[in-house]
Amino acid sequence: MTDTVRTGARAPAMDRFSLPGLLRARETGVFLALVVLCLFLTFATDGFLTSVNLLNVGRQISLLGIMAVGMTFVLISGEVDLSVGSNYALSGLATGMLIIAGWGLVPALAVGLLTGMTIGLINGVLSTYGRLPSLIATLGMLSVVRGSALILTNGQPVTVNVRNGADPGVLEIFSFIGQGYLFGIVPMQLVFFILIAALAWVVLSCTNFGFRVFAVGGSAKAARVSGISINSVKIWAFVLMGALAAFAGILSLAFLPSGQAGRTGLGLELDVIAATIVGGASLSGGEGTILGTILGVLIIGVMRNGLVLMGVNPFVQELMIGLVIIIAVGIDKWSTRRRGA
Amino acid sequence: MKLRHVILATALCLLPLHQAAAESKLADFPLAERIKAKVAAGQPLDIYVSYHDVSNEFAPFMKAGVARAAAEDKVNANFIGPVGADADGQISEIETLMGKMDGLAISSVSTDALAPLIDRVLAAGIPVVTFNTDNPDSKRLAFAGQDLIQSGREAGALMAKTLNGKGKVIITTIDAAAQWSIDRENGAREALKKEAGIEVVQTLNTGTDPQKIYSAIENAMLANPDIDGILSLECCSTPAAGTWVERNKASDKVKVVGFDLLDQTVQLVESGNIQATIDQAPERQGFEAVNLIVKFVKGETIDNLDTGVGIYTKDNIGEVTKK
Repeated sequence: MTDTVRTGARAPAMDRFSLPGLLRARETGVFLALVVLCLFLTFATDGFLTSVNLLNVGRQISLLGIMAVGMTFVLISGEVDLSVGSNYALSGLATGMLIIAGWGLVPALAVGLLTGMTIGLINGVLSTYGRLPSLIATLGMLSVVRGSALILTNGQPVTVNVRNGADPGVLEIFSFIGQGYLFGIVPMQLVFFILIAALAWVVLSCTNFGFRVFAVGGSAKAARVSGISINSVKIWAFVLMGALAAFAGILSLAFLPSGQAGRTGLGLELDVIAATIVGGASLSGGEGTILGTILGVLIIGVMRNGLVLMGVNPFVQELMIGLVIIIAVGIDKWSTRRRGA
Repeated sequence: MKLRHVILATALCLLPLHQAAAESKLADFPLAERIKAKVAAGQPLDIYVSYHDVSNEFAPFMKAGVARAAAEDKVNANFIGPVGADADGQISEIETLMGKMDGLAISSVSTDALAPLIDRVLAAGIPVVTFNTDNPDSKRLAFAGQDLIQSGREAGALMAKTLNGKGKVIITTIDAAAQWSIDRENGAREALKKEAGIEVVQTLNTGTDPQKIYSAIENAMLANPDIDGILSLECCSTPAAGTWVERNKASDKVKVVGFDLLDQTVQLVESGNIQATIDQAPERQGFEAVNLIVKFVKGETIDNLDTGVGIYTKDNIGEVTKK
């Protein structure tokens, strides 16, 4: 029985390295859509295909991408997390407040990350042992966490600078994390995104935990019979999501370097879920890849960037982004049915 | 925070509101019997101040003004409103509290959605004034706040002056469809149009999330490398525009005019990355919202009240930081 589950989850990953496998892969359709979009923008605008703009796009998608990587684990496990935008705000602002209060960087970052992981743990426990659908549990947590951020900050912006009390040395490193460039070229946010995505790919494709995430989301019954602790796997997926949302929130504050509990990350959960779904993850669980998620995030990021470069009316931009999400997911579902036929 | 300590430029406070004069007298108003009885018995009035988003940066200052008025006027003033600009939430809350309120001051999430409710509250004999964001479609007794079109004109004129009447401008806003944004944009465009050498290239709708605001400005500046000025219509894209200028060392080429006195904005004005910012005195708006109702119930004639436009540049931003 264990072999049945294992084969079901792993076989497509091995097959992907052959040409026929590549052509059949779920990501191919998303990749082609991205290529078409990029080609169009290259000819339709002056500034799209420039190193400055492409690095800007890379930085602009990084925080969304880091969170979408976490959401990939949660969706594959058959759950969803709507509290990520609030988590992003609370964890980032809490870290900023501690730095302003004179804390060192490591303890402040640790508290920020632990905040996010705790939110993830609560989400996981409510959705498993609490027997609440994750849609409801995390919807509730969305408000709980957003409210906590507002109470913590009293609705006031948190601006991390020396004038407000941050230690200059701590601030220098904190700013580098969010605003710095590796080798003077690559934005640090993009570096973190690439590292996290690579690590997540390894975990999802090559480790026992990754296999269990697929198994739990693909068929909970089969996973249970195989001796997999479903609750434990799901809780860990939520904790990972919480940690990544917190890290993205911290990076955001380090970049700007100001945030406000009423606005920071508001509605971000929808962008994160949309990017992950566009990348091929299924809301019903058991399906999704890190590569697909990266492509999904890129499509949304390139689309936003391109529409502004083209000077498209802001209201039309919203409409077009929504349409792209619907079309991309529609094409994906259609091609999945074709593959299955 | 320094906002509450800001001294407004008094000359500019005298700017007239664009709304028609709206004198309101108690003699013309069918005040509810229970409120009349309360006033006659000398009991403190229960006044509710409904702000369109109690989670935004200005809510604490509005609330402080409301508390000051409650203490000075000896009334119970309650600061309420939705978290996030939620019109349904604001309507439900007011409907729930209607039976308890002796006066309502409201800043509407949506003019259209709230106007019928405001008229219903008035019909119940409860005085209603608007503050911060007016609702001219309703029969409200008076409005206390900044004339949004006029403040837009001021911002446009400042930008035109900063650019010496020549250059390309981008207008940024976190919500291009909101009434306050439309009013300020109309005022700004009107002022900019007076200068033949100024061209408004586009209005950039940035959204409210800080990351999205910065990214939108970054993209727009790359798409339009010949931009000379960024005119922000509100609190939150102003520091983002200043930060973009600072990081790109573009203060000689790109000038920024915006709104409000967030910490980050003040620092960017000091460093020369924002040329001017306009304050709207939120604490005073909260205070006047309550005070107008108290005056009205006591029999005084009330009228629209302009809480003024305070302009801050590198030359006088020290007034804010000193306090």
